[in-house]
This record gives sequence, structure tokens and C-alpha cells, in this order.
Amino acid sequence: MPTGLFPNLRRFSRRYVLPRWRWYVAGTFAVVLTNWMAVRIPVELAHGLDALRAGASEQATVAQAALHIFLFGAAIIVVRTASRLWFFTPARVIEFDLREDLFAQFLSLQPDFYATFRTGDLLSRATTDITFARAFAGFATLQGANIIAALITALGQMAAFSPKLTALAAVPIGIGFLVVQQGSARLMTLQRDTQQQQGMYADQLLGALQGISTVQAFNVEGPFADRLAAQAGLLRQNNVALAKLRALVFPLFTVSGGIAIGLLLGFGGQMVLDGELTAGALAAFLSLVAYLIMPLRLMGFLLPVFQRAEASLERIHAIFDAPIARPERDRPDLNTEASTPVNHPPALSVLHLNYAYPGGAPALIDLCFEVPAGGSLGIFGRSGSGKSTLLRVLSRLHNPPAGTVQVDGHDLTALDLDAWRRRVVFVPQTAWLFSETIAENIALGLPRETLEPAVEAAALKLDLAALPNGIETVVGERGIVLSGGQRQRVALARGLAHAGEGGQSLLLFDDVLSAVDHHTEQILIRTLLGRDKHAHKPPPTCVIVTHRMSALQHCDRVLVLDGGRAVAYGTHAELLAQPGFYQDSWHAQQGTP
Amino acid sequence: MKTPSLWSRLWPDIKPDWPRFAIAIASVPLISALGAAQPVLMKRVLDEHIVVARADGLWQAALVYIAAVAGSFVVEGAYTVALSVGAENTIFRLRERIVRHTLSLSQRFFERQPTGQVLTRATSDVEALSEALSQGSISILLDVSNMAAVLLAMFWLDARLTLALLGLAPPLIAMIEFFRRRMRSLFAEVRDALAALNAFTAERLAGIETLQLYAQEARTQERFRSLDAEHRDANVKNNFYDASLYALIDGISSMCVALMVYWGARRLGVADASGVTVGLVVAFVDYIDRLFRPLREFSGKVTFLQRAAASLEKIFWLLDVDEHITPGSQDLPAGTHASGRLALRDVRFAYTEGNDILKGITLTVEPGEVVAVVGRTGSGKSTLVRLLARVHDGYRGSIEVDGVELRELSPHSVRRAIGSVRQEVQLFTDTLRFNLTLGEDVNAERLQEALELTNASVIAARHPAGLDQPIRERGANVSAGEGQILALARAMVRDPEIVILDEATASVDPLSERLLQEGIERVFARKTCLVIAHRLSTIVNADRIIVLEAGEVAEMGTHAELIALGGAYARLYAEGFDAAEGTTTA
Repeated sequence: MPTGLFPNLRRFSRRYVLPRWRWYVAGTFAVVLTNWMAVRIPVELAHGLDALRAGASEQATVAQAALHIFLFGAAIIVVRTASRLWFFTPARVIEFDLREDLFAQFLSLQPDFYATFRTGDLLSRATTDITFARAFAGFATLQGANIIAALITALGQMAAFSPKLTALAAVPIGIGFLVVQQGSARLMTLQRDTQQQQGMYADQLLGALQGISTVQAFNVEGPFADRLAAQAGLLRQNNVALAKLRALVFPLFTVSGGIAIGLLLGFGGQMVLDGELTAGALAAFLSLVAYLIMPLRLMGFLLPVFQRAEASLERIHAIFDAPIARPERDRPDLNTEASTPVNHPPALSVLHLNYAYPGGAPALIDLCFEVPAGGSLGIFGRSGSGKSTLLRVLSRLHNPPAGTVQVDGHDLTALDLDAWRRRVVFVPQTAWLFSETIAENIALGLPRETLEPAVEAAALKLDLAALPNGIETVVGERGIVLSGGQRQRVALARGLAHAGEGGQSLLLFDDVLSAVDHHTEQILIRTLLGRDKHAHKPPPTCVIVTHRMSALQHCDRVLVLDGGRAVAYGTHAELLAQPGFYQDSWHAQQGTP
Repeated sequence: MKTPSLWSRLWPDIKPDWPRFAIAIASVPLISALGAAQPVLMKRVLDEHIVVARADGLWQAALVYIAAVAGSFVVEGAYTVALSVGAENTIFRLRERIVRHTLSLSQRFFERQPTGQVLTRATSDVEALSEALSQGSISILLDVSNMAAVLLAMFWLDARLTLALLGLAPPLIAMIEFFRRRMRSLFAEVRDALAALNAFTAERLAGIETLQLYAQEARTQERFRSLDAEHRDANVKNNFYDASLYALIDGISSMCVALMVYWGARRLGVADASGVTVGLVVAFVDYIDRLFRPLREFSGKVTFLQRAAASLEKIFWLLDVDEHITPGSQDLPAGTHASGRLALRDVRFAYTEGNDILKGITLTVEPGEVVAVVGRTGSGKSTLVRLLARVHDGYRGSIEVDGVELRELSPHSVRRAIGSVRQEVQLFTDTLRFNLTLGEDVNAERLQEALELTNASVIAARHPAGLDQPIRERGANVSAGEGQILALARAMVRDPEIVILDEATASVDPLSERLLQEGIERVFARKTCLVIAHRLSTIVNADRIIVLEAGEVAEMGTHAELIALGGAYARLYAEGFDAAEGTTTA
């Protein structure tokens, strides 16, 4: 557990801010210079005012003071611009770096991680939370430097005029500062709650919108709207508490500064009357106090920025600290020939495989089977029997326990994940398409000219012909909405294209054959399984989940799953001969009782 | 739409809180007066006591100043609270208005409109409005009022000096305007870059598994980097103008002080001129600061308003969408519970004008009858289901439920009469129970009965927390088959008279399907049922089969009759019925 004050801000600073120290040193220099000049102005003003009281004989002195003030003002324009640029530019660069690193982490994190986070939540970390981190690196550092510089220069100058008055002014301002600090802690909690509730509201609304046809078909618009209103009510309650606290806390600096000025007028006025101070010096003193109020007010903004950034960085660091499920990295001793190129399809050997999703009931129980290189296994079973889970484990979207899955005699979890994923082609049940052209969705980086056979094999040609721009049609949110079947065929084409030569691949198909008609299915399955006499390529190793027995009968072996267990395992003919689920289903599909 | 009319349309949401906004507006002159008075009070202490060495009344005068400061604090506090609470209440109401309106829009709207955009209306757009209400609108009024009060006080103290200083105003305003314009176009650039970056991030996060399965990490990171860099560069450019504007205003206010002192020096030589006193200079330094502070924040506040106006336009665009399923008002006669007769006469429907998907469907389903509808992709099966589920409106011809026209029925009666199960199961991120009741109060026995009937009880038993098991985002912890069973249970929970079932194609395996079918049939024995059937068992066991072809009823009869007929049905049968079935979800 990180300890101490603002552990996440410190960690962020070490990693991102400190390496850019040159910018910040230059910026700090400019800030100090700005403040020094800004404090010189009241001093010149004091000279000018006292000379003014002396009368016409001092006219030249007054004019000179005016000139000095003017020159300081002009110089401040240049130096203050520089100071802001030298703090804000590195902050933007840091934001860029942080975003980049976070996105890279997102790409590295595996499905177990994504199962425990809502996408909306992750997105808000990548957007809003990063903004707060940047506000710390830019706004907060600039204002922090500015406040410190202003305090030192202005207080120094005030003390030079009168230590007694300086101490007097410090009392109300100090009290105000302490009260604000108290309030800020509460502000932080409220702000965090608001952030969270905004996210929850958005998630709930998104769910209702995505399920709108169900909501309407069941006439439950009312209950759904009530549920959303309750959530919005919590958000409102929180925001109101926040607004009230803000109304009290932030103006306290102004009011404490105002009280300080009032006290100074009384006490300082008496000092002038007693001859301890000139009237010009008192006037200068007053404007220095006024000058101090602005940075102190900003300090009111600054604390929440620190606190928001700390909370945001805690959320961002949680992503960076999330374990990346790549056990092979912890076991370099086991890392075998994984990175060396292979030129044969993998042979799978599964021994006593048990798997449960994190925090879930067992999904796969004691599975044992073998698929030789270039062989095929069909998987059959009811919904929820673990078919999809098995494919997800074989693709290593989830890691099986060590030693339970062997690939060519090596433990699957010891293989380099990237290398394994390049060998595996997994087409899941629900297809994900990006808002790009169909060609881009299929290619995902492959050369365009290699797509044709896959498009043909996935029976996508007819679909493409009906689309406005054929394979160059943009799909998704910013384009054409494809039907479920079309989406699946695009995903199938993508899978087939990436299986490429097939020479070293493991193909995992999760119920995708239902997207094509029987005729296409038969051609496809024959080609994939190497049953095609004219095939000149070695077939890939295939594991195919399907309800179509017309496809299963071509597989070397079939594994029947029920409740995560293997209830039958053998060739199609063997299973057909045994009374049971497989046989029953065969008859159901053939239409014979 | 003109901006003022946009804001006036917000009135219904503002109205209940008008006293709060009235308090805020009423406190504006008071805040301005108290603020503008402070330098005058300070000047009085300086010029009437300190400079002229009059100790008498010095402290009283100083205390009056302190009282003005404390008064400002109290009034400004009341102003902020009234305004913020009013703003929060307003956007709460607006949110509710948007949500209730949106949920009532027809499917056609949602087919056109990306969900993310609709979501933004009730989240980011509403939040932008909240900012504008609490920190934009009346706050600008306060700024203007403050500046007016300050100018008034300055004229009153020294009109000639004030005029001289105001001579600086036109170039200053021109300069600020130049910067504002430059920054506005840069801001648009920044905003577009950010939108592109966020959209990319959102989509890649949602499709992360696909990226990982196809080893797209490096390629994706590269594309992300270029978007990220565009965003950074646009911001760095914007920073320069932002920083310069800020510093310019700061520096110029100092130059004003210089000018004032110089003015004092010039007047020293003039015999009859009222001198520039210490108090006057101190007061004017304070006033100049009070004049410049709103100027400095003005562009920010205007941005709030501009953003809010853009958001309001989008919000009202949504609220103006008038594509509802108009609910009827007629209730089914009470006590006809055992009934459920469905009669379609010459039903025609088109998604787009002149392109009929259903071309005159006439069929009657008698109470308790199970009718299977079969047909190829595009034959109009799914459209028929959608019409009956009242997802789509605007059919021609007549659909009668127990003798009452469907479009005339009240929502309550439709719900009592028809339960539908769609192919695509929509699950909500909430508990299993919520996904069945959909937030309605459902009798516990009724719920249990539906669970047992559909074997959804088996699914509940599979999860450790039973019915209270949370369903993860997009039903991540529910398999497709489980989802189908839940969807059926969901329909049965409401005990409808007529059940419209669009049978699952690929998701549910034959045995689960059979289990399901057993349960359904127990209910269907008492109910009218129209099934878009894909499974042979369902089709064969139906009382009657209707074959749709190109939006028309091509054949009708039992399995044996239709096979004997040797027509469209026989061809479908030979193909196994589920040919290219995936496309029917369109």
C-alpha cells in the first residue's frame, strides 16, 4: 500500500513530471521574475504617492515612478506569457505520454481484467481522469509555483515595510486558509462521489438505450425512467452539497483578505498618524495584501485540483498495476521454442483441464482430449455447457492452470502469448466489427489482395454485392448497420483470411457455421479439414463448436460437453451408436423420432 | 434555431425553481454595490483620516469597510447557493424529460441514431448546460453589473481620470476580440481532435478481444499515437494564445496604474486641479483590478454559454423528434382472461415508403392455437413479429386482439395481451431478478411459476447468488442459450394471452431447445401462440404452419399437408429450414 501524502501524485511526478524538469525550472524562473516585478510595482507606487504629497517640487520623481511602473507592466506581459507556456506545454506532452502508456496497458491487459471493469468506467479513466492528471501537471504546478513566489516576494516586501503589520495581516488570512483546508477534504470526497455517480448514471442509461426494444416491448419505460431518475437524484443531491460547500469555502480567502485590509487601515492608519510609516507605504502595503489575495484564492482551486488529480491518478494507477495475465513472463525457464518460427499446425493435448472464471463456479471440469497436428475436434453441447469457455481457454484469452494444456509437448501457458495468438485464429460467437470498411475489418493489416479467397469461402460475396460500396462499405456507428448473420460472415472471412496458408494455425470456430447455408458449410468444412482432394496445403488444426451435426460428422473426433464435463468423446460414428444426448440430437435434426 | 428561443424552451425546467433564480438575480445589484463600495470606503479611511492625520473616527471607518466585506461574503454565498441549487434542479428535470421522451421514441429512430449520441444528450450535453447555468448565464449578468457599478463609482470619484483611463478601452477590447476569435477556431480544432481520440479509444476498448486475438496491438497503438499527437499539437497551439491573452490583460492593468500616477504628476503643476490623493490611487488600483478580473474570465464564461447553446440545440433536436408509437387508449374488456384471439386482415407494412415488406397478410390465430410461421430470409417474418410486439407502428389493414384493433389498445392492455420473445436477447446490467421483472412489481409466485415453466430456475440455480446474481455488462456472464431462456421467462412472468416467439436459431442447442419447448407448450396449451419457427420439432408440432414468401402467405396447413403439397414448404424442409438464417435478425 502506498503511504504518505498524495502517494499517487508523487508516483506520477517521478514517472512523468520530473523527466521534464528543464521546462519546469525555466517556468519557475519566469514565475519568480513575474512576481518580483509585480511586487516592485507597489513599491514604486509608494515612492510616487509620497512624492505626490510632497507637491510640485517632486513632479519628476512621480513621473519617474510612473515610467517604472509602466515598464514593469510591459515586461510582465512577456515574462508571464513565457511562464504559462513553460508550464502548460510540458503538461500537454505529459498528457500525451500518459495517454499513450495507458492505452498500451489497455492493449496488454487480458480478458480477465476486462470482465471486472465496465467499459464506460475504463473510458472515463482514459478521458476525464487523464484531464485531471494534466491539470495537476500544468495548472497546479504553475499556480503552485506562482503562489509560493507571490507569498515570498509579497510577504518579503511587506515585512520590509513593516513586520508588525505583516504579522497582523497574517492572522485573518491564516485562519481563512485553515478553514479552507478543512472544507477541501470534504470537497474531495464529494467530487469523487459525483464522478462515480455520473458514470453510474451513464451506464444505466446506456443499458436502457441498448435494450430499448425490450423496454418498449414490455412497456416498462416508466420503471426504467424511475430507476434513472433515482440515480439522477443521487447525483443532484451530491452536486447540491458540493455547490453549498464551494459557496462557503472559496470566498473565505477573499473575505479573510478583506478583513486583513480593514484591520490594516485601522492599525496601519494609526502608525501613519504616529509617524512610523508613510501614507504611501501604507497604500503600497494594502495593494500588496490585495495582490496576495489572488494567489490565495487560487489556492482554493489548487487543493481540489491536487485532490482530484490524486483520486484520478489512483484510478489510472489501478490500471497500470493490474496484473497482465501472461504467466510465461514469470517463467522464462519454461519458455521454450515459442519464439522460433514453426511450420506445422499445433498438436493439442489436454489433460485434466479445470477452469473457473475469476469468482465464478467451475466452467470446465476435468477435460481430457487430444487433437493431433492438422486434426479436427468438434464440440457439441447445450448452452452453458462450457463450449465457448473451452475455446477461450485454448486461445488463451484465459489462461488454463499450468500443465493442463500442452501444445506440441510444451505447456500452453509457457508459450509466448503473442506468438501463440499469431498461430491461433479464433472466430467467436458474437462478431465485433470496427467502424471502418468491411475490407479493413477483414484485413486488420493484411494486404488487401489476399482477402479474396476468404471472402469467397465465407459466402460473403452476395452480401457485398448488395452493399453500396461493396467491400469498401463502412460499417458500424458511422456507416451501414449489418445484420447479425452478415456480421458473422465478415468475422468468418476475417478468421479465414488470417488463417492464411493454414500451415501452422489452430482454428477455433465458435458457432460461426450457422451464419452460412448448408451448401457453403459443407464446402467450407471440407476445405478446412483437408477433406478436399484438390487441396494442396496442409490443413490447420481445428476445434469447431457447432450445433450442426452435418458439420460435426466431418470432424475426426467429437467432444460432447454438459455442465463443463465431457459426457462423450469419440468419432461421429461411435457417438451415434451410443444412446444419449448426441444420438437424440441427431434424430431431432434429421427429423426422425 | 435562434439562441434566445433555445433558452426560452428551457423555461419549463427552470420554472419550478424560479424563486431561486429570482433570488440570484435580485442579489446581483446588491453584490455589485457592496463590491464597488469597498474601494470608496477604503479611500475614505485613507484620505479623511490617515492622510489628514485625523485619528477621530479612524476605527469606525475601518470597521465599516470590514462590514462591507463581510456583507459581500454573505450575499455572494446566498447568490451562489441559490443559483447552483436552481441549476442542479433544472438539469435534473431536463434529464428526466430527455429520458422519458427518448424511451418513448420508436424503433425507427433508434435504428438511425447511434446509441452513443443519444447517451451524450442526457450526460455531457446536460452537464455542459449545468456549467452554463451556474457559471455562465447569470454570472455574466453579475460581471456586467459589477463593471457598471465600478465605472459609476470611478466617475463619481474622478470623472476626468476615469475618462482618460477609458481611452484605453477600445484597443483593449479589439485585442481581446482578436484573441477570442483566434482561440475559437483553435478550440474547435482541439475539440474535434479530442472527439476523434475518444471515439477511437471507446471503440478499441469495446473490441479489445478482437484486437488481441488478431495481434493488432502494435498497429492499434500506432494509430492511437497519431490521434493523440494531433490532440496534443492542437492544444499546444491553443496554449500560446491563451497564455498571451492572460498575460496581456495582467500587464495592461499595471500600465493603467502607471498612467494614473503619471496623470497625478501632470496635475501637480495645475493650480486649481483637484489633486490625485493617496486614497484615490489606492481606490483606482482596486477598481482597475475589479474591472479587469471579469474581462479575464469573460471568454471562459462565453465559452460555457456557447458550449451550452450547442448542447441545448442538440438536446432540443432530440426532444423535437416526434416518432412515437402512439399509445391507444382502449382497454380490453375485463374477465376475458382465457381468450386471446389474433386476427390479421390484409396487413401491409413498409419501412420505407412504397417498399412493402408485408403485402397483405390475412390470418387468424384462434385462442389456444399454436401457429408456426416459416419462410426464407426477407420473407417478412421478423417484420411481422415486430408489428405484433408494437415495436413498429404504421401498419395498414387491421390487427385485432380479442376483437380490438391493436393500435387502439392502451399500453397496459397490450402488455396484458401480448408477450414477445425476440431472437436477440437484451440483458441489462443489473440482477437476474431485474432482468426478469424489468423493474415492475411482480408477484413472487407468478415469478417462480414462470421460472419453473421455462427452466430459467435452472439458470438461477447455476449462479451463486440465485436471482440476485448481478448480470455483467452486456450479459458477459450469461451464455447465449441462458439468455434465450431468460428472455422467454421474462415474457412468461407477465402471463400474456398471446405469445409471439421468434425462435432462436444458433444460440440454443437442440436439447435445451426441447426442454424449453416442453415448458412453453405447457403454457401454450392455454394460450394463443405465434412462433417464427426454425426448429423442425416446433414446426412439426404446430397446429398450423404458415409459409411466408416475399411478404405474402404462400401456403397454410399442417406439416403433412404441406409436404404432400410439394411446394414452398417442401423446398424449405429439404433445405433444413435454417439456411442463411443469420440474416433474419436484420
